[in-house]
Amino acid sequence: MSLLWLRVAVFLYGVAALAVLPAALYDRPRWRHVAIPATVAALFFHFVSLTEMLNAAHHALPVDTHETQSLLGLLLALAFLLVYWGFRTLALGIFLLPLAFLLGLLPAFRPGLETSTLPGIHSSWLFLHIALLLAAYAALFVSLVASLLYLVQERRLKSKALILHGQTSRIKLPPLETIDSIALRALLFGLPCMTAGLLIGSFLADITYGPRYFGDPKILLAFAMWLAYIGMIFIRRSSGLRGRRAVYLSSFVFLVILCVWASNQFSAVHRFAAP
Amino acid sequence: MTKNANGSRSELILLGINHNTAPIEVRERLAIPAAQLADATRSLVAAPGVREGLILSTCNRVELLTVHDPAAVETTEQGSVSTHATLLRFLDEYFAVPAATIRPHLYEFREREAVRHLFRVAASLDSMVVGEPQILGQVKESYTVAKEVGAVSGSLEKLLQSAFTAAKKVRSETQIGSSSVSIASVAVDLARKIFGTLAGKQVLLVGAGKMSELALRHLIQHGATKLFLANRTLARAERIAAGLQAPGISTEVIAFEDLQAQAQRADIVITSTGAAGQIFGRGNGQQFIQRRRGRPMFFIDIAVPRDVDPRMNEVEGCFVYDIDDLQQVAQSNQADRNREAAAAEQIITAEVARYQQRLQVLDAVPAIRALQQQAEDLRQAELARAAKTLATLTPAQQEAVEALTRSLTAKLLHPQLVALRTKPEDS
Repeated sequence: MSLLWLRVAVFLYGVAALAVLPAALYDRPRWRHVAIPATVAALFFHFVSLTEMLNAAHHALPVDTHETQSLLGLLLALAFLLVYWGFRTLALGIFLLPLAFLLGLLPAFRPGLETSTLPGIHSSWLFLHIALLLAAYAALFVSLVASLLYLVQERRLKSKALILHGQTSRIKLPPLETIDSIALRALLFGLPCMTAGLLIGSFLADITYGPRYFGDPKILLAFAMWLAYIGMIFIRRSSGLRGRRAVYLSSFVFLVILCVWASNQFSAVHRFAAP
Repeated sequence: MTKNANGSRSELILLGINHNTAPIEVRERLAIPAAQLADATRSLVAAPGVREGLILSTCNRVELLTVHDPAAVETTEQGSVSTHATLLRFLDEYFAVPAATIRPHLYEFREREAVRHLFRVAASLDSMVVGEPQILGQVKESYTVAKEVGAVSGSLEKLLQSAFTAAKKVRSETQIGSSSVSIASVAVDLARKIFGTLAGKQVLLVGAGKMSELALRHLIQHGATKLFLANRTLARAERIAAGLQAPGISTEVIAFEDLQAQAQRADIVITSTGAAGQIFGRGNGQQFIQRRRGRPMFFIDIAVPRDVDPRMNEVEGCFVYDIDDLQQVAQSNQADRNREAAAAEQIITAEVARYQQRLQVLDAVPAIRALQQQAEDLRQAELARAAKTLATLTPAQQEAVEALTRSLTAKLLHPQLVALRTKPEDS
């Protein structure tokens, strides 16, 4: 049954991802009346699916790549709604909703059937560790998208020809300072999530595996990611980094996060159950 | 002509002058200050034959919208003077402007055309700046005043409510008012694209000029609270600062020589000096952004020759718009508005047709009632004639006969009622 709800959720993410395009790109604000309710409904069904899975399935937390992907999709859709309610902009939905749709698509139609022998699989601390780290990833992605939008809006304002000849006047982007505020707040939200997620993970690993766990390259890379995250926030706050260089920096940290994600496949002590 | 509730005929006439038909010299002689509007409206409805009336007086138009009782006018004027003349005489008497002076500039609309004109005015399609939002508020103010003095009742009430509905529809279904078409409002729009809200933003005005001060006042209206002023003549800057004093607004005069050291305190810089050379160069822009730790700065350069090096726009965080840029944005927006105006005209045409349709139905009400009454009388008479025979029936059978006759009457009347509702004049 949880699969059915997930499929409904994925369908609704698809509807929302399509509806957000005319609202954000073609100045047809009424489409938000489709995009927002569709996202809310998708989140509801996704949450129901997740809860059913946790209650009824063989494990109490996402253990394979597909399930983790699906949870990340849920967090991205939630981030879109939070940004919409906080800043009244749909622009981030152009990126976040299709990604939520794609992340949910595979788990909805080709679920992983593997069980994990991971000790503490039923621990809510482990679930918290995963959820917090995924929230940090989602926050960084939001920040990266916002930085990209900042760049686009900055270019539009600078290249007056585009504005003058109405070529882009129908594309509604939030003001520069609003986009910058979204990018920074997302990072500031992500930092405690990442810190707490890593601390919980380290604590659990120390109990389960002992010090050898911390010698694994994947774990070392995760701590490098944390340092990069802190460094990025420090640079952005101290020098007021915006625009192109902010995009480069966010992209770099995002790349590090992708490496950390990918290294799950190669780590000896920390890996997803293969789907 | 339409019939009102008591069946008497009335005529809708709109007489006026506007920016297209009359020069400012004529318009200003007819303009009515807000304080006198109630008195003028009272005088208008006191004119012979005027049953209802409303005066719309703005800087671009003076219009008299009246519902006339033609019979009353004919009686008063021995059947020889038109309602047009009545209104002209009102203008003559109230404003002491000879009819000959006004007549060449006057336009007059009657019935459907008057409705259409009013709808277009309320929707800002007849404005000097098409799509400007103030006109609807001004029509509403005139309506409120006219209602207060009892000059608006049945006919005009319906007409004005329909005009407001049409105007709202145009606003919500087209983009006619979504872009700015004046230099000052374009500057505000661009500032909002950079900063979002302008609340608490700091603005530096360098030099002085009508347009730059207008832009500054627009920014203040949208929330800018801290103003810096710099002028080669310190006394002039102080004079401008004094003129801008208002609750919640703080002003500070900056010495012209300190500009490069202080300009970064402002989020928005408006320059309008008569200097032969540039005041701010590309390097200044880099310094400002560095000192502001990356926070953007918006330069509105209204001066000719320009005060700000256009290459400053290349500096990350600096946005430079000169007078030509602003003008082009305004023109581009105006072109957008004109495109939207075509869609708005279609809405107005549909709304006028809808209004006329409603009016026709209302006109037909007395005839419909009379026809229904006649049919009912006939039915009752026939039932009475057959009363003896019907008395032998059971109560259930009598009820069935009653229902049958009612249904037959209604069905026979139906085509005629439909015809009356749709084409009352022909019927």
